[in-house]
Amino acid sequence: MDSSNDDALDIIITNVVATFRTRCHLNLRTIALEGTNVIYKPEVGKVLMKLRKPKITASIWSSGKIICTGATSEDEAKLGARRLARVLQKLGFKVRFSAFKVVNVLAVCSMPFAIRLIDFTKKNRPIASYEPELHPAVTYRIKHLKATIQVFSTGSITVTGTMGSFDFREAIRAMPLR
Amino acid sequence: MSSRVCRTCGGSDIDVDQARGSAVCTGCGSVLEDNIIVSEVQFVEGSGGVSSAVGQFVSADGPVKAPLLGSGFHTSVGKESRAQTLQGGKRQIQQLGSQLQLNQHCLDTAFNFFKMVVSKHLTRGRKTEHVIAACLYLVCRTEGTPHMLLDLSDLLQVNVYILGKTFLLLARELCINAPAIDPCLYIPRFAHMLEFGVKTHEVSMTALRLVQRMKRDWMHTGRRPSGLCGAALLVAARMHKFRRTVKDVISVVKVCQTTLRKRLTEFEDTPTSQLTIDEFMRVDLEQECDPPSFIAGQHKAKMQQLEQELARKLDDVEGEISCYKDEIETELEKSRPKLRGIYAAYTKEIDPEDAEVLSLTSDPEEPEVEDKELRVATQQLTQDFLCQVIQEEEGRGKKKDDSNKEPGSEKDVEGSQRQATPLAVILGKLPTATSLGLQPTCDESETREKQDDEQSEGGELDLDGIDDQEIDKYILNEREVEVKTELWMKQNAEYLKEQKEKEERIKKEKEQGTYKEKPKKSKKKKEQIEASTAGEAIERMLEKKKISSKINYEVLRDLNSRGTGSGGGSSPSRASSDPPDVNTATRKRLSRRRRKKSSDTNRDLAANASIMGKRVRLLISSTPKKRKPAVQAEHSVTMTTESATETTTTTEAAAEVTPDPEPDSSSTPAAPPTVLEEEEDEEDEAEEECVSALQLVGDYGCEEEEVF
Repeated sequence: MDSSNDDALDIIITNVVATFRTRCHLNLRTIALEGTNVIYKPEVGKVLMKLRKPKITASIWSSGKIICTGATSEDEAKLGARRLARVLQKLGFKVRFSAFKVVNVLAVCSMPFAIRLIDFTKKNRPIASYEPELHPAVTYRIKHLKATIQVFSTGSITVTGTMGSFDFREAIRAMPLR
Repeated sequence: MSSRVCRTCGGSDIDVDQARGSAVCTGCGSVLEDNIIVSEVQFVEGSGGVSSAVGQFVSADGPVKAPLLGSGFHTSVGKESRAQTLQGGKRQIQQLGSQLQLNQHCLDTAFNFFKMVVSKHLTRGRKTEHVIAACLYLVCRTEGTPHMLLDLSDLLQVNVYILGKTFLLLARELCINAPAIDPCLYIPRFAHMLEFGVKTHEVSMTALRLVQRMKRDWMHTGRRPSGLCGAALLVAARMHKFRRTVKDVISVVKVCQTTLRKRLTEFEDTPTSQLTIDEFMRVDLEQECDPPSFIAGQHKAKMQQLEQELARKLDDVEGEISCYKDEIETELEKSRPKLRGIYAAYTKEIDPEDAEVLSLTSDPEEPEVEDKELRVATQQLTQDFLCQVIQEEEGRGKKKDDSNKEPGSEKDVEGSQRQATPLAVILGKLPTATSLGLQPTCDESETREKQDDEQSEGGELDLDGIDDQEIDKYILNEREVEVKTELWMKQNAEYLKEQKEKEERIKKEKEQGTYKEKPKKSKKKKEQIEASTAGEAIERMLEKKKISSKINYEVLRDLNSRGTGSGGGSSPSRASSDPPDVNTATRKRLSRRRRKKSSDTNRDLAANASIMGKRVRLLISSTPKKRKPAVQAEHSVTMTTESATETTTTTEAAAEVTPDPEPDSSSTPAAPPTVLEEEEDEEDEAEEECVSALQLVGDYGCEEEEVF
């Protein structure tokens, strides 16, 4: 609605996905047998390790590529990634922490009003797409910000994208409501 | 027409006569060209004096569809790939479209969409089926036909969401704005399927009104239109005194029971539901409702508020309880005797017990969540509190002192910390919990700000914010590793066995120099690479050439293993109908020989497989009645054959079969049909044929032994 309202909206980041490399091969079986809180999936070829302190789940591949999900902020993601690398180091692998990159950030915010999805879709034809048979929300893709916004009829909005968290407000503002 | 120079006189004045199709030099009169191809319309007089133009209509899509080029069975050689794609696509569209009862106009539009898609290279990496289904659905949406994506997925047996993904992508790329689905579209269709007879139209109208009402009440945003229709139709049916149960409606509408019930309850919440039937038909309420999920969200918010208030009240009460607990704790400590040495061993035994306690309690290391979890744990443990305290206090009290002094094994430290926390939970924020649990977190919150990005570029691990002690908790000690290893091995025994076998196989192949890089999928093929006898070599070669996937390699192996042969275990039917062993042995050798012979000719035969099949059929058709079962067997053999081996064996067999039928052979033709039914084993059938041939031509038996 009005831009003044947007500033009052609290945008909560619920998920940050980041990847990094350890620059060395990892023996998944060792990790699986000697680590706590691990799930080994030999068919796929990866180990899932869950950390408690920043609550994150990491998928570890034998090539040394690791994906961390579940962090609630970028800093937390980085911390979690480093702790994970430290664990691997302690297990005996020559781990080097490199190429840390935040890949995806998911934020949620809620509008105080309900939204008419069909009219909204009609007004924003090519950018917005609404398929009630498949998903109850309208997906709105902003290419230049590389963000995808999902608008639900209750007024809650989720924003997914590769940009920094401060850009979320812009994304929401860029979306014309009503 | 380009004016050419005459060859004889060099003159450039050339007269081209279109009618005669000739080019003549006017200077010397020499004919330069005789049968010029002319592009004129010619007329032919048909029967009854009707003259019609000569020619064929050529489609704009691609070059002329030449139906028979030479042998005619080759898949259109000499056509562009693009044209082939379009042709194939068109065929599939027609097929699917007719199943959906779409009219020709829709199918043509769908084909146009498909052409656009192909020209934009969007078919790459996608199954043509999916793309075509998406095109068809696109047409359905633009035309407004009552077809759901679910229908298409039903026909194709594909997940709806996969189709949906393709559909969305195509719609976006082609910039086609499909109008939103209106549930009203589906009502006539579903009503028809529910068989209301004469009153179908009335029921539809009522249902339509209901749906419109639902729309005004915001029940339809974000929901599947079919669910709404189902609810509306159910109510409408009841209103017109038709007995349609929920199950009937579900089977037509394709939503689940829960959804339908939910829609009905939501409708019940709206004020419209309070009206009687007559009123509903006449009056339309002005007031609109909020969407049900919005209401649910607000309800949730209210509940949360209530809970928070309750929690606050609990806090006050908690404070009082914790004071009492502190006092109890101090009293108990004083009264406990000091026993160290014995309990050092005792403490380790307690670990597994405490593991259960740990599982009950939550993780103490998160300061933010700690308060809540402590509260939760308190509530859980209040009942067990007394027993536990008395039991474990003794050991734990000691251990606390011990652990604080000795580093010990890491697990013990962790264990003691963890044990300390349930105690802390019970007793309410003891110093132990804070000192052990909160400390690492405090460290990190300080050092989080010290992160150095430059270090990560060098690949060095920045250890600032990482507490080693805590990290060590993530690593099991040796005994635990052993236990876990054992468990894991037991659990994954099958997988490990598979892996070992695979490795062995690969090793063997490497030795034999036939190692292929790509992974083999089926387990059965493992068994082929065992021995390097002639038979095994053949089957390996056959498998490599991918001539037949239907050869039963077990039988081949049996052939080699049995010298004089105890009846082939692979074919029980054969055993029943079989003549003496000699025959079977010779028969098998015959088939082997045939296979070997055929192996040489394999390469040439791939193209002519079907032609061979035809010839065989021709041969067989001339044979007498007795051969009928064999004919049947051969028919089916040739029908299902893909490899040249089978055809060669059958043709050879057939060639020898034709001379004289024998009474003995009647038993064996009976076997092939049964063999067919039991196991689709053309090889066995081929062998059956060989038996009869063998018996016919008695000499063959002697020759066989020479070959090997």
